[in-house]
Amino acid sequence: MNGSAHVGDPNNPQIRIRSLEKDSVDFVLSNTQLSVANSLRRTMIAEVPTMAIDLVQFIENTSVLADEFIAHRLGLVPLISHNVDEFKYTRDCTCAEYCKECSVEFTLHVKCTEPGTRVVYSTELISSNKDVVPVAEGEDSRGIILLKLRKGQEINVHCVAKKGVAKEHAKWSPCAAVGFEYDPHNKLRHLDYWYEKDIKDEWPPTKNADEELEDDPGAPFDYKAEPTIFYFTVETVGSLDPQAVVIKATRVLQEKLGALQLALDEDQNRDNNANMDEGEPWV
Amino acid sequence: MSLLDRHSVFDGKGDHNHPLGTKITYWIDSLRLDHPSLSTRESKSANRLMYPTECRQRSITYRGRLTGLLHYQVDDGPVQVEERNFGLLPVMVRSNRCNLQMMKPAELIRMHEEPEEMGGYFVVNGNEKVVRLLVAQRRNHVLAIQRPSYGNRGPGFTKYATQIRCVRRDQTSQTITMHYLSTGNLLLRFPMRKQEYLVPVSLLMRALVGASDREIFEAVVGGDAENIFVRDRVELLLRSGKDYSVFTREQALAYLGDKFRVVMYAPEDMPNVDIGRLLLTRMVMVHLDDYRDKFNMLAHMVRKLYAVVSGECQEDNPDTQQMQEVYLPGHLYLGLIKEKVEDYLLGVRAEIGKDSRNGKVDLYNKRYLSRLFSRIGADIGQKAQYFLATGNLVSRSGMDMQQMTGFTIVAEKLNYLRYLSHFRCIHRGAFFTELKTTGVRKLLPEGWGFMCPVHTPDGSPCGLLNHLAHKCLLTITLEETEDVEKTLVRLGVVPDIPKPSLCDPNMLTVQLDGRVVGYCTESVAVRVAEALRILKLQRAAAGLEAKGPNIPYSMEIGYVPRSHGGQLPGLFLFTTPARFIRPVTHLATRQEDHIGSFEQVYMEIACLNEDVHPGITTHQEVLPTNILSVVANFTPFCDFNQAPRCIYQCQMGKQTMGTPMQSFPYRTDNKLYRLQTGQTPICRPRIHDDYGVDNYPNGTNAIVAVISYTGYDMEDAMILNKSAHERGFGYGSIYKTEYVDLGKFRKSGDPITTHFGVGRDMLTNETIYERIDIDGLPFPGVRVEEGDPLYAVIDDVRGRTKLIKYKGEAGFVETVRLLASQNPDEELQVVAFTFRIPRSPIIGDKFSSRHGQKGVCSQKFPAIDMPFTETGMQPDVIINPHAFPSRMTIGMFVESIAAKAGALHGVCQDSTPFQFNEANTAADYFGEQLRQAGYNYHGSEPMYSGVTGQEMRADIYIGVVYYQRLRHMVSDKYQVRTTGPINPLTHQPIKGRKRGGGIRLGEMERDALIAHGAAYFLQDRLMNCSDYSLAYVCKCCGSVLAPIAIPATSHLVDLSRPGPLDLVCRLCENADGITMVALPFVFRYLATELMSMNMKVRLDVK
Repeated sequence: MNGSAHVGDPNNPQIRIRSLEKDSVDFVLSNTQLSVANSLRRTMIAEVPTMAIDLVQFIENTSVLADEFIAHRLGLVPLISHNVDEFKYTRDCTCAEYCKECSVEFTLHVKCTEPGTRVVYSTELISSNKDVVPVAEGEDSRGIILLKLRKGQEINVHCVAKKGVAKEHAKWSPCAAVGFEYDPHNKLRHLDYWYEKDIKDEWPPTKNADEELEDDPGAPFDYKAEPTIFYFTVETVGSLDPQAVVIKATRVLQEKLGALQLALDEDQNRDNNANMDEGEPWV
Repeated sequence: MSLLDRHSVFDGKGDHNHPLGTKITYWIDSLRLDHPSLSTRESKSANRLMYPTECRQRSITYRGRLTGLLHYQVDDGPVQVEERNFGLLPVMVRSNRCNLQMMKPAELIRMHEEPEEMGGYFVVNGNEKVVRLLVAQRRNHVLAIQRPSYGNRGPGFTKYATQIRCVRRDQTSQTITMHYLSTGNLLLRFPMRKQEYLVPVSLLMRALVGASDREIFEAVVGGDAENIFVRDRVELLLRSGKDYSVFTREQALAYLGDKFRVVMYAPEDMPNVDIGRLLLTRMVMVHLDDYRDKFNMLAHMVRKLYAVVSGECQEDNPDTQQMQEVYLPGHLYLGLIKEKVEDYLLGVRAEIGKDSRNGKVDLYNKRYLSRLFSRIGADIGQKAQYFLATGNLVSRSGMDMQQMTGFTIVAEKLNYLRYLSHFRCIHRGAFFTELKTTGVRKLLPEGWGFMCPVHTPDGSPCGLLNHLAHKCLLTITLEETEDVEKTLVRLGVVPDIPKPSLCDPNMLTVQLDGRVVGYCTESVAVRVAEALRILKLQRAAAGLEAKGPNIPYSMEIGYVPRSHGGQLPGLFLFTTPARFIRPVTHLATRQEDHIGSFEQVYMEIACLNEDVHPGITTHQEVLPTNILSVVANFTPFCDFNQAPRCIYQCQMGKQTMGTPMQSFPYRTDNKLYRLQTGQTPICRPRIHDDYGVDNYPNGTNAIVAVISYTGYDMEDAMILNKSAHERGFGYGSIYKTEYVDLGKFRKSGDPITTHFGVGRDMLTNETIYERIDIDGLPFPGVRVEEGDPLYAVIDDVRGRTKLIKYKGEAGFVETVRLLASQNPDEELQVVAFTFRIPRSPIIGDKFSSRHGQKGVCSQKFPAIDMPFTETGMQPDVIINPHAFPSRMTIGMFVESIAAKAGALHGVCQDSTPFQFNEANTAADYFGEQLRQAGYNYHGSEPMYSGVTGQEMRADIYIGVVYYQRLRHMVSDKYQVRTTGPINPLTHQPIKGRKRGGGIRLGEMERDALIAHGAAYFLQDRLMNCSDYSLAYVCKCCGSVLAPIAIPATSHLVDLSRPGPLDLVCRLCENADGITMVALPFVFRYLATELMSMNMKVRLDVK
């Protein structure tokens, strides 16, 4: 579709992908309302499940960094979570602590035996599941530096990665940032730009400005207009593909709406039932 | 010149030929200080040297043995030499007696020190102690003083005086004051063993060189014979000297010697004349050896006094840096040691005196003598340690100091800046803290470039505790001045003899380190000053291969020109140690010149290029930032801020939780704060790298939006991004060390009955299995919470294992340090536990930017609720726009856009102040960078509400600001209770957070509650949660105290009556009116107190 924003059915949202990279997607969401667009943004950031290390058991740590600090770093390492759906949440699982159904185990055992500094990378985490491994950019990338060891220092940890959402902790977020914009020409006048001399000079246009026509200064202001076109840039941390993030987020949103619908229906029915109950005479 | 005097004592066993008896003369020579080493009892180590890290970890003192050679001679016999042990003297780290002195960074790291360990402190009982710099009066320079209190000293005294603080070669000082009396007489005042003595000046002048009246007249009046005022005064002075009927030098000396014989501790066989000489040597103008020099200086002092009385010159202000220098720690320490050695010698004297009275003295007996010398306590090391540990100066003479306490401070390693500023701070003196007048606290222009104008604390020590500007130096060497003198003469200064000043009233005095070198005319003085400066610069430029006269690079050439009622004119040269100097550029040679605080006042120094006036300006500042202290220099763009905010930042920079050190595993400080996720600031001044601050980060670069969002950021609160926090923003820890000494209550010599270890009775105990090893100590890394068993001790007496519980906040055992006893082969009794307590930021923790903008975290919002920009950026921190209008911290705005531009372009920004001006503004410079990166010129961006997705009405100022986490955290401060510990007397809650006390709900709070009509709450606070009590009251007599419980058998009980059976009112002698009421317990206490004063409290109970 093109930039004809004013037409279109708000109940028939459309997505036009402008670019798709390995770790980012740029798309235009149109024919929908602000609340929907923002819900999608919020869901992408906070409610798309991924895998992340959640439990770290220290067997040996003679490095200079504190246990909890290393544990925190391990937690933030993005893990490839394409098949996150195959896992259950630990809270829904039948196991006592963790099991294969709900978790992936990692081990990291490095000892520096030579003089100099031994750098420990995230790719040195050995996974129990070949599909869930630390993200590494490209073939020869060694991932993120976890810590550095000097001669004689050793790290030996056992980690458990679990499924989770960023609502609980930011480490489960698949997104690094979600760019979001509407109305690049400020036609709706939601924003009152401040400028010193020249608005054009001081406010460089965003790249989305080309998508829409510039406002005709002579045209009357449409105070009833609502935003309908939303420009998204989703940048991932590598745990999920960008398109997967959007799709999964949509699904999560649908599920939540479905659940809400169901709950409302149930509520409605119960109310109806209650009303009926009320009508019955006392026995 | 010997450090100490010889002492001579007689045994009093005299005969006809020698009425005083045998004489012993003894003195101490060549003190030696050894490198700190292990005690001889320790026999296992091959390396006998001791290093500071061991002292810190074992909580002992870093000290070396002090020995001295004691010489003595009985009558005219041979001189005997004996080595005396003066105990273990604390040694300054990295001094020339420290074992670390010549070490390079790699070696220092091996020694468990910082790679750039600076030293300069003492390790006393494991603490790092610094002798604080203290302001002193400029030495060897006569100050004219006008003080009303001088007029109250006695009859005839006026408010005028001149004063000089004379410093000996060994850096001990003696201040003498010359008072002007209304009779025309002059009295010289000097203290001796905390006693003050007044001596007529004419007497002293006569005693010094045997000056005749004419000579004194000429020395004072000089060529100024027309000056009737001075002439008259000198006449009065000479006339008043006639009262003593002293006419010759010998007479004068004998007169003085007679009066001072006792207080001088002079040997009994010494003639009065010699004692008089001794007095002059020890007390009058002690910086000069020659009596003629002393005389000249005294005459100068008289002349200056007359000048200030007649209004010819003004009095000097002792609060300006011009008239000040510093008590250096080394000089102070040396003075202390000197005095303690002297005390030892005096102790020997007293002991001989005591023995001779008892008839036990036998000076020809070697055994007696060696016993005598060892009988006197000579542990100087112990006394020096006491001085360093407490900061109290125990001194017989007072050491010419104004204060006796507060000399040392603990160098807290809170963060790098705090630590650094301990060594750069300079105190005005404890005396001034009490002073009602605030004149001394004033920031004076004389301090320009020497004292930092912004780095001083707020509140009571404001202006008294200053910090040196970061380029200010203190001279530390004793210079050779022979060449200076020769040069002066060569340049046209006429030496003193014969009186050239007699012919010309316009001759100016030329003084070198408080010695009158000669006289010259004004025009010659100007030339001399210029020539000297050139020679000095040439010498400094030539370095080691310098030929020509040796003019020290640090010499001050203070030419005071003649003026109407200004400072007394003259050419004053200073080369002494302990002065302030600082580098400036000499314009003619483009060379670095070091100038002092005395000469600076009379110099033409331009700040910037445009300030240079050709022909007038001689010097220029190297950099405008040179006037700021190290800490003040780290405030980015501080020239944009309102000045008080920079003062606040200097305080807050020092309270930041940062990286105090690299050597964490080897530190046992009581409490250490550490920011685990420190970053280097994007915006940093140029000196950031000079001081190596990158190794000691103090904060985090935060994305900061200035916006009022949800109201949680009002009143200096700030909102943190919860997701940023989860990613480690501001995450810090506290390291606490506790020492456990099992032998603490054991007397020395008693057998050891408690051992670390797990006994048989506990071996199978599962609760300790995972925490405590068989040796009774916890595994490092174990998590401990309040009440968890921490370590186990086997008690031989009870035959059982005792578990000792952990007290305090939940944390981890970082290190368990086993500390050996002082006695070899003694089993382990002392252990130091280091705990690591994680402190991730929580609501209530304090943060600040580097611009005196502090705030408390009020809420942590998840990322989805935070506002965001079009690119998806979310702030880590939200602060309220109201934080700016009244505080005017524009520097923070500039930092925000500068760091934002720096982050976008991937460069570090220079935030050195004074780089921009009206023509070339910071806003344009960084704004252009932002525009090139595709951002708004002014640093604003449109933002969207995270909750609704709606674009906000205004564009939001968002950028990157370096945020510091301050050490004030709620976890250390929160105080809450309903009921708890109470005061046994009043039953009211006790105060103090540590003891579980309450917060006082005081009168004003009570008033507020009454005004609100919150009656129930008031009742709850003041009664129910406080000292609620039930009391019996007798309705009949209204007393709360009269109803008492009595035994049932008492005759007072009337069993037929109703009411509580065992109660009776002692006044009414019945129980009729007794009822129970609720009362605050203090009321009962009040009634009792009043009763003790015969006052009755009557309650009207209905």
